[in-house]
Amino acid sequence: MTTVIMRTTARAIVPIVLVVSISLFIEGHNLPGGGFIGGVLTTTAFAIIYMGFGLDFLERGILGRDVDPGKEPSRDRVVVAYRRLFAYGFAIAVVSGLAPLAFGQPFLTQTFVMLEGVPIYDHLEVASAIAFDFGVYCVVVGGLLTILSVVGAE
Amino acid sequence: MSPDLAVVVAAVAVPFVAAALTPLFFRVLGEETGFAGTVVALASFSLLATQYGSEGTVALEWIPALNVALRFYVDGWALLFALLASGIGALIFTYSPAYMHGQSGLVRYYAALFAFMGSIIGVALAADLIAIFLFWELTSLASFVLIGFYTADDSSQYAARMAMFITVGGGLFLLVGFLMLSVVAADILGSGAAFDLAAMLEESDAMATALRDRGLFLPVLGLLAIGAGTKSAQVPLHFWLPNAMAAPTPVSAFLHSATMVKVGVYFIGRVRPMLVGPEWLFLFATLGLTTMTVCAIMAVAATDIKELLAYSTASHLGLMVAGFGFTSVYGAETGVFHLLNHALFKAALFLVAGIIAHEAGTREINKLGGLRHDLPVTAAITTVAALSMAGIPPFNGFYSKELLFEAAVEASHYHDIGLLGWLYPAVAVFGSIFTVLYSLRFLSLFVGDRPEALDYVQSPPVTMLVSPAVLALLAAVVSVDPQLAVDVIVQSGLEATAVDPGEMHVGLPTSYSTPVGMSAVTIAVGLAAFPFYDRLHDGIRGVVGPTPPIRPNWWYDVIIEGLTDEGRWFAETLHNGLLRTYATWVLSGICAFALAGFVAAGAIDSIGVGTEVTVAMGLVLLVAVVGALAVVLSDTHVAGVLTLSILGFMIAIFYILGSAPDLALTQLVVETLVLVLFLLVIEEIPAIERIAVGTTVRDVALSLVVGVTAFITVLVSSGARPAGSTDIARYFAAQAVPEGGGTNIVNVTLVDFRGFDTLGELAVVALAAISILTLIVMRGRGDERSAARSDDDAIETRDTDTTTGGTDE
Repeated sequence: MTTVIMRTTARAIVPIVLVVSISLFIEGHNLPGGGFIGGVLTTTAFAIIYMGFGLDFLERGILGRDVDPGKEPSRDRVVVAYRRLFAYGFAIAVVSGLAPLAFGQPFLTQTFVMLEGVPIYDHLEVASAIAFDFGVYCVVVGGLLTILSVVGAE
Repeated sequence: MSPDLAVVVAAVAVPFVAAALTPLFFRVLGEETGFAGTVVALASFSLLATQYGSEGTVALEWIPALNVALRFYVDGWALLFALLASGIGALIFTYSPAYMHGQSGLVRYYAALFAFMGSIIGVALAADLIAIFLFWELTSLASFVLIGFYTADDSSQYAARMAMFITVGGGLFLLVGFLMLSVVAADILGSGAAFDLAAMLEESDAMATALRDRGLFLPVLGLLAIGAGTKSAQVPLHFWLPNAMAAPTPVSAFLHSATMVKVGVYFIGRVRPMLVGPEWLFLFATLGLTTMTVCAIMAVAATDIKELLAYSTASHLGLMVAGFGFTSVYGAETGVFHLLNHALFKAALFLVAGIIAHEAGTREINKLGGLRHDLPVTAAITTVAALSMAGIPPFNGFYSKELLFEAAVEASHYHDIGLLGWLYPAVAVFGSIFTVLYSLRFLSLFVGDRPEALDYVQSPPVTMLVSPAVLALLAAVVSVDPQLAVDVIVQSGLEATAVDPGEMHVGLPTSYSTPVGMSAVTIAVGLAAFPFYDRLHDGIRGVVGPTPPIRPNWWYDVIIEGLTDEGRWFAETLHNGLLRTYATWVLSGICAFALAGFVAAGAIDSIGVGTEVTVAMGLVLLVAVVGALAVVLSDTHVAGVLTLSILGFMIAIFYILGSAPDLALTQLVVETLVLVLFLLVIEEIPAIERIAVGTTVRDVALSLVVGVTAFITVLVSSGARPAGSTDIARYFAAQAVPEGGGTNIVNVTLVDFRGFDTLGELAVVALAAISILTLIVMRGRGDERSAARSDDDAIETRDTDTTTGGTDE
């Protein structure tokens, strides 16, 4: 699959996919989208990179690290980072749920504020749910990428 | 005086906290950790001692919604047992460092001992059925860990599994009995007292009547008896106890003679006022006397000193059960008093056995003798304890055995039991004769001549002597002044277990009565038969050895082997390593249960098929069906994957037409990801192979069944919905913006209204990732050989990888 066509296409579409996925995530509260959809789409972008450039490309090509060929994929630093990502994501979701307890509200209570007079946007809504949704996003991306890279390396 | 909640909770909690801190203790103290244990046990003991004389219930809320609370009930009976457990615990902890010197795994050993002590105190004090059950099973768990302490020894593992299987299995029977009790209690005493044993015991008569009215009396009695009988090693489920002697000797002394095995007896005593009656007499007196006799005979056949003591323990447990089984007040006196006496002399004897094994290096009865020369102090301890076990006056075992005889004789005065009125006393005497025999045999290890083969016997360290000496001293005190023990604690224990307790008096008999005659016969026949001990020993072995079916252990082995074979066959049929087999069984199972459920609930009749399909939807679905057919008919994987995604994308479009943009978006991205993943691994998938016609037919049938089930499920579940939108849907639609601040109802539902569900799903995703990671990382770890092999593999892979890497560049 590491053909020239594949690589060229990947170069063009991966940034687009990533931007779309992030916008889906951020706009999720008011338009179709959200943490789960954004996360899956981000994973798709990574999967396309893996397909076009091989599994070690992220470590070697982008991060400029040396990779021991043949060692356990689960020990790769990128995979370790994925694992951290889903652990942290889960932590973010739980902590964002615990935060309302400090204000005497039940677990996972969400609220929002409208910010008026913000430049460019004029008025901007900030929902506390975005923190929880970010946790969802991280868990999905981290979890799926862990599975993808570990299974892919087999 | 009513008990103090904080003190009671602390007494139970201190050992558990110590269990958690054991690694820390061990780091500081090393092998001396046992002495820290002594301090902890004494702390619990003194906390409990402050509650001496108090009576009443204290409770901590636990699961108020289910009326489950951490209730503790303090009375004489609970205190007697809890004080015994913590007191003997302290002695065992003192004894352990010297006995366990140089062993590995001491952290596990001490942690389990601590946890055990906490749970046994918990069982003694708990007044809530759920709490009792939990502590009860915790003691079994600790016992499992301790019996299996020598992890490299197969027989120890076998014994640990057996003990676990029998005692935890018995605990499950107990749980069912508890649930029946709680159902009745909830009706009689109100739902607040559904699990409150103390409240049930206060209303004993009402509970007993209600149980009888509902026909639950016998089931409850039977289930509790099975639970208590397995725990207290009653025939025919006694065989785990002799096997449990694979544990280190301090453990045997603590768990398998003085405390854990008495939990069953303790519990029988506890519920006695509520369930006592003719059935109670038949069940427990018969069970107890049978156990007492059978195990005493088996003790005579024993060749190992710990085996002898184990059978003897089971036999004495039988004595206590029989005592509680007799409905007269003497019965309760027997049970309570012998629980104390037996704990004192048997724990001492086990510790003596530990000293013998430790110093002489063997536990074979035939190889030991004349130990009084080498172990004079131990010999003195043994004299007191063994004579007490034999029930020779004036030692303390005599008094409680005398009470048993009295209760057995009295039984026929209370109930019309016909021939049993003669049989009970006769069996009690018959069993006791064997008790005298094996007690004398144990004592004879210390008299006579030393066998030539016996090596040099060291004298034991002081810490190993202190514990049995303290126990023997206490036994001696009770022997000299039994009324003292009665006044201090036994009387208050009696009040909790007897129906109409009176003032209890014990002492040496001054005039002739039937029980005195029975004791005289027992001791005289025992002494007269002792010279023929070896002949008896060989005779019993000659009968039991060649006919395995009379040994319950044989049945256990047969059943367990059978279950293992069945299980293996079952696993190989269902889980043969082929994904398609798994799918076949799982899917057909799900379909069968779902369809059966619909039929049973009568949901199939009310299905109405609505036909509100627009042209566009119909077209999309048609393409989807064509795509599905194409998947099945495709010859190559690429064609299969691509046609499969046609199906998936059509479903996404269907969602859009059904005005569910979020669902459609999710379907689209997941479909895309799956497609990309397939393309990533497509080269690795083996080529499509032709499969047999039979398999094809099976697969087609299965697919049809799955499809039909899904179809019916959708119809049934959407048909059950009220027309129009539901309350909850209207609520979500109306409140999304004002409450959640988002116009995307789906997302607001996910992150706000139903955030907890989403959190659960996140946990699932994280778990899936972790388990896949674990599976792949762990795959290489087998035994050492396979690890070595995979190292070789790794080197080879590295070589090949370098070459492929080179060509890629």
